[in-house]
Amino acid sequence: MTVRGVLKTLSPLFACIGLLCVWQIASLRLDTESFPTALESIKAIPSILGDKGSLLNILDSIRRMTIGLVLAVMFAIPLGLLMGRIKAVAAFFNPLMMIIYPVPKAALMPIIMLWMGVGDVSKILVIFLGVSLPIIYHAFQGSKAVEEKMLWSGAAMGMSAPMRMLRIVLPAALPEILTGCRTGLVLALITMITSEMIARQSGAGNILFNSLDMAQYDTVFAMILIIGAMGIIFDAAFEKLRLSLVRWSQPRDDMPLSFT
Amino acid sequence: MQVVSLRSDAHAESEPLSGRKPASAMIEIDHVSQRFQTSGKQSHLALSDINLTIEDGAFVSILGPSGCGKSTLLYIVGGFVQPTDGVAKVKGKAITGPGPDRGPVFQEFALFPWKNVLGNVMYGMRQQGMKKSEADARGRKLLEMVGLKGYENFYPKELSGGMKQRVAIARTLAYDPAVLLMDEPFGALDAHTRTRLQNDLLDIWDTQRKTVLFVTHSVEEAVYLSDKVIVMSRSPGSIKEIVDIDLPRPRKRADLLLDARFQKYIVDIEKMIDDGKDHL
Ligand SMILES: Nc1ncnc2c1ncn2[C@@H]1O[C@H](COP(=O)(O)OP(=O)(O)OP(=O)(O)O)[C@@H](O)[C@H]1O
Ligand SMILES: [Mg+2]
Repeated sequence: MTVRGVLKTLSPLFACIGLLCVWQIASLRLDTESFPTALESIKAIPSILGDKGSLLNILDSIRRMTIGLVLAVMFAIPLGLLMGRIKAVAAFFNPLMMIIYPVPKAALMPIIMLWMGVGDVSKILVIFLGVSLPIIYHAFQGSKAVEEKMLWSGAAMGMSAPMRMLRIVLPAALPEILTGCRTGLVLALITMITSEMIARQSGAGNILFNSLDMAQYDTVFAMILIIGAMGIIFDAAFEKLRLSLVRWSQPRDDMPLSFT
Repeated sequence: MQVVSLRSDAHAESEPLSGRKPASAMIEIDHVSQRFQTSGKQSHLALSDINLTIEDGAFVSILGPSGCGKSTLLYIVGGFVQPTDGVAKVKGKAITGPGPDRGPVFQEFALFPWKNVLGNVMYGMRQQGMKKSEADARGRKLLEMVGLKGYENFYPKELSGGMKQRVAIARTLAYDPAVLLMDEPFGALDAHTRTRLQNDLLDIWDTQRKTVLFVTHSVEEAVYLSDKVIVMSRSPGSIKEIVDIDLPRPRKRADLLLDARFQKYIVDIEKMIDDGKDHL
């Protein structure tokens, strides 16, 4: 690898170190109790991850997030693809989505809690709602853009309409769908934490706000670091998966916008 | 699905043109008109009262100015577009939709970008239930025939326009349609490849007895390949003239270029197309 190549792959790392340095200096200068230094916060991480209760809480969060995300993907992709190809489906769902789209899904949390309690179901539902819309939108765009002649070619080969949907529209729209899923993944993490802030019962968001209440500021910042790291790791892992699935569609010298 | 073997094995049954079976109608186009809704309340008559019979095994070319409805006519025969008026029939049955008896090769290639070259060519065969190993072998043979040996694992985005077109042709030939609907298939190719593929197409046509409906902008190409050349005019799209090309087969390009009859056909047809332009 060339020096430039090495620098390119390591640049995210440099950015992280740079941020931590700025944090360290700022915190030393301000010197207030509610703003621990970067080092103190990092030192608090092992004790959180080492604690069985906290670890289970975090895993619980990840579990809910995964369920919400998987349900959203299973619902949103078929719906978006159908909307892109069948005018009647689009005409029915489009107005509905226009109404739901601008509403912050976390704002629905109190009502959902009222109806379904503070347990898993409410939180998963909020994640599901938050994630579904961008995936529907991207699946819709991708499906609408599928070249008609491609579908005609399939029809001439004797493929039925459902078959063309599954074997032509889906793969052709996959790059766009996966772009939506990437947004969805990050949104899932955000809604997950938000839902746990509101329904404080378990999860990573719960640890964060409990320690805030108890003025354990190093734990608060350590949790922020953990959640941030989770986001970065999930995103990078997904990006790897995405690239392997849609290598056929990538421009030859594409500049990857991520930590891959 | 019955797959006609490729050139090498099929040669035995190829006879000179004069020995062909008495021709029966493969495609009948009966008072077909096509009107398109354009923006607003206006509509555009893309095809006006087209009548045409294409015999089984004939090679027919369509010439005409851009926008005269050549592609539209091909789409109607393919079953992709329903004519607003009239009926199109294949083997005596009204066309209600696409089917594997009519294989299109589109102006825009329309390859499946997520499949590699071999995957594209195998797609139709697999769709028809052919075994994977069989489809693989036939696919490779076809790719060799269109001069793409060694490119089996390339993806469409990695190919030049001419190569894409060749994949598209192989992909359609693969599922062995009785009728080939080719929309300017060689338009994007360099002169050399074009000549080669023209000859390959003639070979395929001769050995596999396909009916070919071939849209082109090149008068020379149309005369060289066809039994019949249909000259269309625009506004509304209609058939201006049908010219029977009475040149012996098999045709050799080098001989034809020096042949006065060949040259006369070209000059005559060019005149017909030019005449149409005067009225615009
Ligand atoms: N889906 C459509 N909607 C509206 N108008 C259309 C549609 N398809 C074709 N047309 C019109 O019909 C006419 C014939 O189009 P067509 O594509 O068949 O022409 P063509 O002879 O194939 O032209 P070219 O040689 O440029 O390919 C054109 O005027 C075009 O604008
Ligand atoms: Mg055309």
